[in-house]
Amino acid sequence: MSDLNITGVEGTVAIKPPPETPKLPPREWLKENLFSNKFNTLLTLFSTAILLMISRGLLSFIFNPERQWGSTATNLRLMMTQAYPEEQYMRVWVSVAVIFTLVGASMAIWNAGSRVTLRRLGSFLLSSGVVINILTLLAPFSGQAKLIWLIIGSAVAGAGGTLLRVSDKDKNISSLTLVVATLTAAILSLWIVPFGHHSFVFERTPRSMAETGTVALTTKLPWTIMVVIGILAYFFGKTMTSRFPSKNLRPTIIGIWFLTPPTLLYLVLRDPDFDMGHVLNTDIPIFLIFAIAGGILLSWLTRPTTGEIGRVCAALVLLAGFGMFFTPMRMIIRILMLLLATFALAAPTFAGDSKKQRRYVLAWIGVSGIITWLVTAVNTPSTIEVPGDFFLGGVSLTLLVAIFTIVISFPIGILLALARTSKMPIFRILSTWFIEFVRGIPLITILIFFSIMVPLFLPKGMELSEVSAIVIGYSLFSAAYLAENVRGGLQSVTRGQHEAAEAVGMTTSQKTFFIVLPQALRVSIPPLVGHCIGVFKETSLLAIIGLFDILYIARNVIPNQTEFLGSTRENLLFVSLIYFFFAYQMSKASQRLERRVGLGER
Amino acid sequence: MNEIENTETSASTRDLSNAPDMIVCEGVSKWYGDFQALDDVSATIKEQEVVVVLGPSGSGKSTWIRCINRLEHHQEGRIEVDGIELTNDLRNIEKVRSEVGMVFQQFNLFPHLKVLDNVTLAPIWVRKKPKAEAEEQAAALLERVGIPEQADKYPGQLSGGQQQRVAIARALAMEPRIMLFDEPTSALDPEMIKEVLDVMKELALSGMTMMVVTHEVGFAKEVADRIIFMDDGQIVETGTPEVFFSNPTEDRTKLFLSQIL
Repeated sequence: MSDLNITGVEGTVAIKPPPETPKLPPREWLKENLFSNKFNTLLTLFSTAILLMISRGLLSFIFNPERQWGSTATNLRLMMTQAYPEEQYMRVWVSVAVIFTLVGASMAIWNAGSRVTLRRLGSFLLSSGVVINILTLLAPFSGQAKLIWLIIGSAVAGAGGTLLRVSDKDKNISSLTLVVATLTAAILSLWIVPFGHHSFVFERTPRSMAETGTVALTTKLPWTIMVVIGILAYFFGKTMTSRFPSKNLRPTIIGIWFLTPPTLLYLVLRDPDFDMGHVLNTDIPIFLIFAIAGGILLSWLTRPTTGEIGRVCAALVLLAGFGMFFTPMRMIIRILMLLLATFALAAPTFAGDSKKQRRYVLAWIGVSGIITWLVTAVNTPSTIEVPGDFFLGGVSLTLLVAIFTIVISFPIGILLALARTSKMPIFRILSTWFIEFVRGIPLITILIFFSIMVPLFLPKGMELSEVSAIVIGYSLFSAAYLAENVRGGLQSVTRGQHEAAEAVGMTTSQKTFFIVLPQALRVSIPPLVGHCIGVFKETSLLAIIGLFDILYIARNVIPNQTEFLGSTRENLLFVSLIYFFFAYQMSKASQRLERRVGLGER
Repeated sequence: MNEIENTETSASTRDLSNAPDMIVCEGVSKWYGDFQALDDVSATIKEQEVVVVLGPSGSGKSTWIRCINRLEHHQEGRIEVDGIELTNDLRNIEKVRSEVGMVFQQFNLFPHLKVLDNVTLAPIWVRKKPKAEAEEQAAALLERVGIPEQADKYPGQLSGGQQQRVAIARALAMEPRIMLFDEPTSALDPEMIKEVLDVMKELALSGMTMMVVTHEVGFAKEVADRIIFMDDGQIVETGTPEVFFSNPTEDRTKLFLSQIL
């Protein structure tokens, strides 16, 4: 206690820092951590042997001269976007550029990155150099290749060792600098290292050719531009943060992030062939009528003096919205009516002074505008001509289905969880039945059902592409699981929180929206991210119902090309690396998110 | 705060016999399953009156105080708060809750919101106050409970005593006419109890109608207009602090006082 120097209850507390833990010399470290007793020694030797055997097996598989790695290199574009037409490939690069811009800007606005001490970097380099050398010794390389790799490994290890020895304890470097340096090195290697130029042209004989030299200009140039765009976007984001307060900037960027997938898909990649006459005569007038009439209705509903009669009106709008599904009516009107009903029902929660009213009406106009535009775009034929049903395939289809499923299933899952914990029996029973029913069916059954059966059940005049039907089915499936994760979070919110919210006079919806949900979602971040990773990986089931997702291309398409017959294993290994890359990034993102939101709570 | 502490003006010297009734309970009973938590509780609390409810644990004091803003439902009898009877009618409950502030034993601050947002949330969304006005009022209230510098921290970064003072500010932000305190100091370390009691004393002297469940005899003696002693869900004895502590009539009260004093 003598070290503590407390001055007053709220004063500063000066605490002596804890003593530094002395660093063990390598030999003792090894002894303490790996060979502390007989059993541990045995375990160490056993697991080392297993690790070496696995690495050796994998290396001799990869570097076996019989492997057709050319099949992967030649078909990279097929794996990414399947048969997206060459002439319009610019659209793909524009989409990638938009995403790079958003990533760069968001990293600046959310202050991404941390400091890495040079010592940590040094020990990382040292250990990777050692690993490279061990793997080189295990690999079935020729004498010259072995020598080159040994030199590279020793150079990396040497650099790491010097860094470890020379640098001070507190010297550090931004992790973003490291990321940029790695990316630049990768891009430079595209221009310098002779990875080989693989090309596949359908009209040519031979169709597939592998030339020596660096990769094709159509690969290295766009990627170079993408990295430059990402870096520029980061600095753009930095200027924005210094100009605008983050409480305005962040919601804007989040909004743009949510608009990006549908915009890229329906406007950029799909290239809808808008019929301007129809748009001007029908779609825009419908939107204007809804925007104005809905705006007037909502500004009345959000007035604090409007009492019960407002709720009755909202219920009437909802009834009218459902009723429209039983009469012949344009889809856009049905959808806008339901949307208006949702806004009207939520209006009393957000009621307030004229500023709040205006904001709510603006939100309505914005959301209804976006929905009108989306529905119009979906109903417009595309100019992209591809052999299959859908204009995307490979990694882009996998990502597309995963992203849309996750985004759509979140609100549904949260609503289901709220319904299941609600006091009203009808909601509780319906949602419990839905969740238990969906969880009792295998995903593949649901996918088959939605891809084959649902188009038959649709009302007359309504069409749904196979991919949309599958995304809807997958979203419902995912929502049922998500609801259970959220329910766990909801139950972790203590009774005291509910009581405190009730005691200050909040209504049930205010309590849910402002107090319960934020805390419940924060608690359920780990299971929710786990769920998202699962959704991403299980898109591989699309291969079974014959969609050209990345797994299908790797397993069924490439190994059947006459040039690369039987190259299944190579491509499956490559595909598993792609799955791992995305899944690992999600997992890392979740760890960062947990650290960030955990800040305030302590 | 120190000035208040030194002025030994007990609120109990006031004459409140002509003040209007704020809380009227008539024959209130409540059961948890087969266990009767409240048994025919009747009491009237006047405007500006400070009532301290004492009693052994499990005697129904907390249940009673929680019935008054309908966190618990009474099954028999009648509770009227400021002329509004508490029934199942949601509108009445919401009206009563916005008139009655409550402070809990476990503080129950919203951990995901900053201190300032904890205080302003209900005024903005329930009272529909403009944000700027609500923030101004919140700053004034935090000043009043003695922690203006903590507005931008999260509840988890404050000490227990500070958290409870934020909870009091949060309740006061709704401009209630009655404040209910449910063992506000029971979860606090001894050195933090005083800072919370000081705030409560100041509140009592400012004329707030208060109902306090507590074990702090010192506070009861100094501030209360009336002590209500409960046991087994019944009101055993009622009296001014002077009479109650020095001259209790019931045997049960004498036994209780001999154990705590």
